Amino acid sequence: MKITMLNGNPDPDNQKFDDYLNNLVKLLESSDNSVVHFKLLEMKIRPCRGCFDCWLKTPGQCIFKDDSHDICREIINSDFLLCAAPLVMGFPSAVLKIAMDKLIPLLLPYIELVDNKECHHMKRYDKYPLIGLIIEKEDDTDSEDIEIVNDIFSRFAIDFKTSSRFVMQTDIPVQEISDEINRI
Amino acid sequence: MKLTVFNGSPRGKESNTAILLEHFLNGFMETEGNSYELEYIVNNKDVGKLVEMFKDVGNVILAFPLYIDCMPGIVKSFIDNLKSLCGRQDNPTIGFMVQGGFPEAYHSRFVERYLEKLAKRLNCQYAGCIVKGGIEGIRVMPQFMTKKTFNYFYELGKIYGKSGKFDEELLKRLAKPEHLSALRRLFFRFASSIGMAHVYWNKQLKENNAFEERFDKPYMR
Repeated sequence: MKITMLNGNPDPDNQKFDDYLNNLVKLLESSDNSVVHFKLLEMKIRPCRGCFDCWLKTPGQCIFKDDSHDICREIINSDFLLCAAPLVMGFPSAVLKIAMDKLIPLLLPYIELVDNKECHHMKRYDKYPLIGLIIEKEDDTDSEDIEIVNDIFSRFAIDFKTSSRFVMQTDIPVQEISDEINRI
Repeated sequence: MKLTVFNGSPRGKESNTAILLEHFLNGFMETEGNSYELEYIVNNKDVGKLVEMFKDVGNVILAFPLYIDCMPGIVKSFIDNLKSLCGRQDNPTIGFMVQGGFPEAYHSRFVERYLEKLAKRLNCQYAGCIVKGGIEGIRVMPQFMTKKTFNYFYELGKIYGKSGKFDEELLKRLAKPEHLSALRRLFFRFASSIGMAHVYWNKQLKENNAFEERFDKPYMR
């Protein structure tokens, strides 16, 4: 399976989080997956400015030449998108959210009713990867925080024509996450 | 009452958020003695200044457009920088305004839950959250379509200026439709079937000479 991983670790001193993901990547690769691991903190990603040029001037691509193009290309050619970030103020880091905002060129501007119910943008590509989220808890994280993150991630999945397979925390062994992904 | 408003729209001064805030603040200023400061988060390199502004005032409103069912990345950066204020006494009362492009308010209800929890996390008193959908395109809509919405924002601001709270009843009325009615869904399907639902985008695509490329898949391997 082809996997793209977005590592939204905002803190260069948080080696523990990177180690966790590196171990996960090793495990996944040993079970016949290929993983492209984007360390978002080291990349040049200009936050989305809401201009819609990626829909209306250069359809399918952000008008700015930043590293978001590489991310979009990998994701849309993957089977699985793994988002990962420590929670900061109860939600995955800004580093991850900034990268996720830049995925809208993968959609069309046109709007459809999903399940004949809700407005969402239409798909540009035939197939979108399934998604999962790995989070590192903060000292004060409680079950309500996890539920909110879970629900918002599921909304992201609807927007991106896919479904969320899991939201898991870094306090479990990497093996469990790897197993979960290998079951897909 | 002293208020600091953070406009978190990546479009800054040209944003729909700015238009809605303008009406809200007109209402707010109806109460004598009220004053406000309005700050734009976008392109604001001095994060320390934003945090100082946040902690030095009694009332704060954070306003932003919905980006993939959540806050824009730059707003999350701002929120992350408030971490140093957690556990501090005397943080301001905080209210939020979330506006979305799709007509239904429902899309914004998830981030609304996050924002209420955020207020708790910051030990801020929570003034509520204004939610309004159907805002994309507000600049090109004729006045008769926007008048009601703008008036709601004015009234909300007026009551907030007196009481420091968002009026629950007005919030509910403004948010409508929470979901699309059966009639609106029927109309939407009809409009889609004759291509009418796409006119707004196609017009702009044609103006940009990009209409032929509208379905491009540039990243396909």
